[in-house]
Amino acid sequence: MITASALSKSYGIARVVSDVSLTYEPGTITGFLGPDGAGKSTTLKMIVGLARPDHGTSAVGGRPFVDLPNPTRVVGTLLDPSAMHPGRTGRATLGIAARMAGVPTARVEQLLELVGLAGAADRRVGAYSLGMRQRLGIAQALVGDPQVLILDEPANGLDPEGIAWMRLLLRDFADRGGTVLLSSHLLHEAQATVDHLVVISQGSVVASGRLDDLLATTSLLVRTPDTDALSGALDAAGISYLPRPGPDVHRGHGRRPGHPRARRVHRVQGAGASSPSCGPPTRADSSSCSSH
Amino acid sequence: MTTTMARAVPDGAAAVPGAAFTNIPFSRLVRVEWGKATQTRAARWLLAAVAATTVGLMLAPVLAPSTIDQTFTSYLSYVATGLSILLPVVAILTLTSEWSQRTVLTTFTQEPRRLRVVAAKIAVCLMLGAGAAVFGGLVTAAGLAAAGASGRTLDANLDTGLVIAFLLYVLLNVMTGVALGALVHNSAVAIVLPTGFVLLGQASQVVADWLDYATAFNWLLTGEGSGHVS
Repeated sequence: MITASALSKSYGIARVVSDVSLTYEPGTITGFLGPDGAGKSTTLKMIVGLARPDHGTSAVGGRPFVDLPNPTRVVGTLLDPSAMHPGRTGRATLGIAARMAGVPTARVEQLLELVGLAGAADRRVGAYSLGMRQRLGIAQALVGDPQVLILDEPANGLDPEGIAWMRLLLRDFADRGGTVLLSSHLLHEAQATVDHLVVISQGSVVASGRLDDLLATTSLLVRTPDTDALSGALDAAGISYLPRPGPDVHRGHGRRPGHPRARRVHRVQGAGASSPSCGPPTRADSSSCSSH
Repeated sequence: MTTTMARAVPDGAAAVPGAAFTNIPFSRLVRVEWGKATQTRAARWLLAAVAATTVGLMLAPVLAPSTIDQTFTSYLSYVATGLSILLPVVAILTLTSEWSQRTVLTTFTQEPRRLRVVAAKIAVCLMLGAGAAVFGGLVTAAGLAAAGASGRTLDANLDTGLVIAFLLYVLLNVMTGVALGALVHNSAVAIVLPTGFVLLGQASQVVADWLDYATAFNWLLTGEGSGHVS
């Protein structure tokens, strides 16, 4: 649904994005992860036609964004929550988006209900907090009932309840066949939301793939007071490891702690090994790690 | 805030995109731009200021019959001058506020064909200009009526040609506002530029004789040395 091929852009001599190629399929949420200044926003702007790439092409739904006759019906974008006229009311802002998209104004009321801004809809956007503007931006992205959502740091400014709400919203959107591309620099939040991950650093893609596959290849650091017992249990379970010099440190390559094989090691071991330091929370078993 | 997914996002998410939808009609673009230009508090205050200034300027020929020509065209010229200074500001702001408020990020993703957006803004500015011209005509008529009621005789030297010229004058000034706003994305600079051009014109007249040295040296060839050599 979203494809980009060899996108590159330089501002002057600074190469901001080099040779970024991506493909996103319907029904997926893809996280576009990277530190600040990595080129995430620039890549997103190139996909939606706000920045012209020096090289490369991109397409949404098979056509370049700028060729779409009515883009908000296909792609909803949230690029900058402060990019709203502060003198307009929330309802007027959504009304403009609805009219441009050609959807009836009843949808404005529906969306205001959905994002929880029905009470503040007649206040000027300048009086909104960052979280409210973010929610208004999400409503604006959804106005045209698009199949694709492109969101630049959507969790920015939301409180934990808001982040959880947005996660549910995006999950539902993707489960009904939509494609979501969201950029973030919050690793934990992204991991809880996305199916696929594209990691970008200094303008180039350094890793991309399904979240489970990427995380499955990470390693785990385990401290234990009884290294011999742990080594024996790991050998019995068939997990490769590298004992590190120092009193009580092992590193196990292989599955993350929620994985059945790792759990089996602890059951066999009993009290011999302290529980490993937890990996990042996953959607499936956020309850298995006590530290989160 | 609701955490249940009420079906505000209806089904159809898997339908074929893009090709099924048609271009946004130009009339819709114009209506949206009209809303943008008139539905903020600041915009309404600006338009009110234009109206108030026009009425204020009309007082000058009405209250000072000895110093100002009492002709129809002179009354109209006061209104025209007032509009020529303030209306371009309205036009400039319809364009530059998109950049200063960063709403270009939204506007150009809603309609990526930017010339159509600019054309809609031009249409809105022309409509505002025409409306202001009509308002100016009404104010002039009121001023003339007030002057006539005070017993003065006014020289009725206005004809349809001059009325049309007045309308064109206002519209042209509005269009220069659009051009400056589209060219210079900074509101403050774009608003000051017309005054800057006037000053530049006047200043260049002062230094023209010095800048154009070729013409200044001409007297040597024609031999008209008077004033240069005694």
